[in-house]
Amino acid sequence: MIEAVLFWIGAFLFILGGVFDLLAAIGMIRFPNFYVRLHAATIGAIYGAVLPLIGISLMALGIPELPGRYAVAGASFITAIILLVVAPVGSHVLAYAAHKSKSVPWSPVVDALEKDEEK
Amino acid sequence: MIKYIVVGLLVFIVYITFAGSLSTYTVMTGLLVSTVLSIMSAKYLVVDEKKLFDLKRLLYAVYYFVKYMTIIEIKAHMDVVKRIINMDIDPGIVKVPVNVKSRYARLLVMGSITNTPGTVVVDEKNNYFYVNWIKVTTFEPVEARRIISEEFEYYAYKIFE
Repeated sequence: MIEAVLFWIGAFLFILGGVFDLLAAIGMIRFPNFYVRLHAATIGAIYGAVLPLIGISLMALGIPELPGRYAVAGASFITAIILLVVAPVGSHVLAYAAHKSKSVPWSPVVDALEKDEEK
Repeated sequence: MIKYIVVGLLVFIVYITFAGSLSTYTVMTGLLVSTVLSIMSAKYLVVDEKKLFDLKRLLYAVYYFVKYMTIIEIKAHMDVVKRIINMDIDPGIVKVPVNVKSRYARLLVMGSITNTPGTVVVDEKNNYFYVNWIKVTTFEPVEARRIISEEFEYYAYKIFE
């Protein structure tokens, strides 16, 4: 019984992750420039990758006949946690580099960082 | 000494969870890897040993993880998904004051802000985060902090300071 529940919760998270990945991809196409697209990329990284990985881990626990299911579940879960820790560092470094090199033309409502750097 | 044991134990748990088995070979390799890693890294990773024994901090961390992954992230995701559909965006970089002092707490606040769709930390200077915000609703640093990072700082303070 509990295995079936784990499997279906995992499957739900997995499919939800796919939906968010699709939305993130649409956002990547529709958004006008790099800085705004970063937000769509975040959707792909958190609910598009961390959530389905947790889903896979629950699904693996829910299939008793799967060989090495604890390895699949454990590896997925640890990968999800590590992704949660390192994903923001990547986003931050990309944004930082783009802003420092001034390589992205955009028209922000306010750019407090540029104002402070000019001082 | 205690910090070496705690870091080693954490590495060992991560190793065993990742390997997903309790065979003699895995346990022996895990012990070896965790011992070497804890000797190499514990003195850099743990600053204050006393905080390791504070169970309240651990409970706050678990509660924050669950709350962050469910309530906070769902709100932020749905907000940005709505903006993908109706294209209601006013991007900009605002200044957000950050009050927590320790490096871990700042990393947690920075990670939480960046992991929420709609906000990305671009730079950090003089106790201010410069946050790239998809829909700038205020130019005031204090007001922006209230909207963006006040909740994250509350938990970062409880967990790490």
